[in-house]
Amino acid sequence: MAEARHGRVWVYRGLFVAFSLALLFLRLLPLGGEIGKWPGPDLMLGLMLAWVTRRPDHLPAVLIGLVVLAEDLMLMRPPGLWAALVVLATEFLRARSTLTRELGFAAEWLLIAVVMVTMLLGYRLIYSLTFLGQPDFGYAFAGTIGSILMYPFIVWGLRVAINLRKPSTGETDAMGRRI
Amino acid sequence: MAKNRTSPEEYTRPLRRILVGVLVAALLALFLVWRIDSPRVERFRTALVDTLVPNMEWALVPVTKAVGMVEDFQSYTRIYAQNQELRRELQQMKAWKEAALQLEQKNARLMDLNQVRLDPILTHVTGVVLADSGSPFRQSVLLNVGKRDGLRDGWATMDGIGLVGRISGLGERTTRVILLTDSNSRIPVTVQPSGQRGLLSGDNSSAPQLEFLEKPDLVRPGDQVVTSGDGKVFPAGLLVGTVAQGSDRRLRVRLAADYERLEFLRVLRSHELEPIKDPGGLVGEPVAPAPSIDAENPKAESNTGEGSNG
Repeated sequence: MAEARHGRVWVYRGLFVAFSLALLFLRLLPLGGEIGKWPGPDLMLGLMLAWVTRRPDHLPAVLIGLVVLAEDLMLMRPPGLWAALVVLATEFLRARSTLTRELGFAAEWLLIAVVMVTMLLGYRLIYSLTFLGQPDFGYAFAGTIGSILMYPFIVWGLRVAINLRKPSTGETDAMGRRI
Repeated sequence: MAKNRTSPEEYTRPLRRILVGVLVAALLALFLVWRIDSPRVERFRTALVDTLVPNMEWALVPVTKAVGMVEDFQSYTRIYAQNQELRRELQQMKAWKEAALQLEQKNARLMDLNQVRLDPILTHVTGVVLADSGSPFRQSVLLNVGKRDGLRDGWATMDGIGLVGRISGLGERTTRVILLTDSNSRIPVTVQPSGQRGLLSGDNSSAPQLEFLEKPDLVRPGDQVVTSGDGKVFPAGLLVGTVAQGSDRRLRVRLAADYERLEFLRVLRSHELEPIKDPGGLVGEPVAPAPSIDAENPKAESNTGEGSNG
């Protein structure tokens, strides 16, 4: 029984990697989004934050770090910086998973929004500290607003597609302990 | 039960915290290394993209084609209007074609009279666009040609009509082209009728800005913009686009290349120009010759002078 559950965690990890690869693939397609149009939402970020809030045991920090680092490298971003910020943000949410489990969705959404905006500010702060050129604030902020608005859809999609939800009371984890 | 639940975590939690700290520190260290010694990390990135993206081509191509087909179907719905428009354009083009033919003949005659020799080293390699960087903040595309085709960093890239960007990042099988619209792109240009020189600097909008003009008053919307060849970045005279004035009264350039459909790009082989160092045999006094063969020298010099003229 315990082994079967343990196996299921690995299935979920595989699903996470598959989703991330699919999202990365979609962004690499040479469909040439028009230049100067508003930046789309960062679906990867929403996916990871939603997943960590629901089931922190599925996503180890190392896996998140590696996936985002790969994304950094492929999408021509400064390698490592966004990955470090995402790991810090997911750790923050992971430490509060017992709290968020009891929150309603509106409060969780607010928390996620604050986390996303803080990440954007931190990213831009480090950019300016290291004298890197960066796009206008309003332009980048529009992307974050988009990510925040897309968050409920990601949560809904995860729930419908792979039945990912917060553990209900009385559920047990891989070791047979209560979560 | 409660004790049983917390006890293993009490041991693993501090350890976990250290591991996560190490992970974050490693990622930030990578970022700092990139900031300090960016070429090395960029080379690694290029190598990674070079191995991964061509392997994904089998999946990238069908999806791209499928989306293209859907777009084509959408365009069928307004085919009648398009047809009318095309007919009108064809009429205009016929007039232009006649003018062009006459001009071509005239040009050929004039060139013949002047004995102009065209630059033989301006050849090109054509590549197919493999992938987009995808982010709205980084405007670049990947081509399926690379070092094995003899490409080098910094070469100009055009579509059929106008300049698209320059090569920045070379792999064995892929190259990355930074588009003119990228915020890191700076290209020296000349505005055509007035001959004003300036810098075309991308800012993530579809029309890059025209900066550092000496006399912006002389530049009017509609003027043609070509590369100037300053700084030995690009060959001179490649078409970039036309001047337009944005709503913020800044001068911008509407690019000639079709950025919505970047499919085939040609990379111009531009070899470095040989710098001219010596003052020339006839103009200045040669420095090298030994005094012993003074009597022979003037003849030899005049010979070489004639040779280079002819």
